[in-house]
Amino acid sequence: MDGIRIESLTKTYRAGQVRALDGVSLEIAPGEVFGIIGPNGAGKTTLLGCLLGFLRPDSGRVSIAGREPDDLAIRAVSGYLPERLTLDRWMTGLDFLAYHHALARLPVAGRAAAVQTALTRVGLDPEAAHRSIRRYSRGMLQRLGLAQALLGRPRYVFLDEPASGVDPAGVVLFRRLLDEVRADGTTVVLNSHQLDQVERVCDRVAFVKQGRIEALETLHAGAAMARVLRVRGPAGTIGEAVPRAALELAAQRAGAELREVSPPLARFAVPDDAGAVRLVQALVAAGVPVAEVTPEEGRLERLFLEDAPPGGPA
Amino acid sequence: MNLTLVLATLRQRFTSPIRILIVLLFGWMPMIPILMAPRAGFAALGDCYFLALALAAGMIGQDLSSGTLQLLLARPVTRAQYVFSRWGAVAAGTFLITVLQTLVAALIMTLRGAPVPWGGAALLLANSALLALGTAAVMALLSSLATGLGDLGLLFLVFISVQVLEKIGMFKSWEWLVRGAGELLRALKPELDLAPYFHGGPVAWLAVVSYLSTVTLCLGLAVVVMNRRELSYASSGN
Repeated sequence: MDGIRIESLTKTYRAGQVRALDGVSLEIAPGEVFGIIGPNGAGKTTLLGCLLGFLRPDSGRVSIAGREPDDLAIRAVSGYLPERLTLDRWMTGLDFLAYHHALARLPVAGRAAAVQTALTRVGLDPEAAHRSIRRYSRGMLQRLGLAQALLGRPRYVFLDEPASGVDPAGVVLFRRLLDEVRADGTTVVLNSHQLDQVERVCDRVAFVKQGRIEALETLHAGAAMARVLRVRGPAGTIGEAVPRAALELAAQRAGAELREVSPPLARFAVPDDAGAVRLVQALVAAGVPVAEVTPEEGRLERLFLEDAPPGGPA
Repeated sequence: MNLTLVLATLRQRFTSPIRILIVLLFGWMPMIPILMAPRAGFAALGDCYFLALALAAGMIGQDLSSGTLQLLLARPVTRAQYVFSRWGAVAAGTFLITVLQTLVAALIMTLRGAPVPWGGAALLLANSALLALGTAAVMALLSSLATGLGDLGLLFLVFISVQVLEKIGMFKSWEWLVRGAGELLRALKPELDLAPYFHGGPVAWLAVVSYLSTVTLCLGLAVVVMNRRELSYASSGN
């Protein structure tokens, strides 16, 4: 398989006193955008370190397209953006990208053009590209880091907090770039604290806590149903006087999806605000007494809020 | 060796203002005796040990402490290639400065009407190349062990410790300790004098083996240390 396979990965620090990863097993499909979330110290960065071959696991195995993560053939088709981005500050932005283009063994012939394209792609001012990296702002550094990670259209991209320190325009750009990368069929592993971003861009997310995968959520990022609404009716209506079939029919008419019925509540997934309006109209038209409609907090947010997250251990 | 890394290291070393200042100091100070006594020959230039140290300091350790090594090693570059490239670049940079030094010294001699001993220049350059390669190898090992500029501290510490041991050996008349300390001191500054060869004779095989083994051992150990090193800030906390 061309994807990433993690088998029973265990990693400890300080002679086994700190267990950063505890038997993590996971498969990431080729072309999948996979998120890793979890509280501080959960083991996310350790997991990423093992995926990149920077850390040696105590036991277990990581394979990327059937090879070791530090195999040069894998590294030649991988891009990485670290969280603590410290670049070679004596270089200019242009020099830095050309340097990484060369290190990635990409063809010399197209280097200048590839570097310019990468700079344009991340929206870095061409004038700034000639400046020393020493004088870059945090946001500019992050854009430059992203540009180097995406050099040569890699097949695997590992991003550690890619949108940290980036302005709102940069966040939008980051999402657009990830869409492009996804369209290329690149496998992306994204470690981030920005749950809304993760929820928007990832196909699946692993919630890591105390070195274990506590939950594995399929998000269908980019798919039709991005938001969840809770609809409450007066007692004895939703799920009782109004049967599930009637709710399903109304949802179908509004282009929504009925997720769950738990009287007097029903949960619907809708694509956007317009979808939410259509759903409420369809429910009212179907004679469903609607007392309250509230947007549900992000699914990932719930993982953080609940002690025993849904989904069960992976 | 990776040419991209070698060139990047050279550029990095020669764009640091402090390093340039130190290199200028060690590189051009020896010109004073040449100016004063142009007939004294190239011996007045001395060796390139401190130049090599100035260029080598932090050759790996600074990448470790700054975190740039992670990004570099995420590329298709082996850790051995990285160590060898750093070593090669530092040695090449040192040799380059020595060549410039020699040319400037020759120019001074010519301008001041003194004959230029080209044979002496060739010997100086050959010995300098070997000393640069040796010193860079020792520093590669020390730099792989200590972050930042800790390699210089380590070198100083080992140097002082070995000298203390030597003095103890002399005081106690322990010949084995004096000899051991002497070998260690020579290992800290691996050099091979090619003067016998330049004068038509052979170079002692023991000196050749000793030099080559020191350089090989230092580089080998540096690669082992780097291969064993874990590269993630997660290892320090997360």
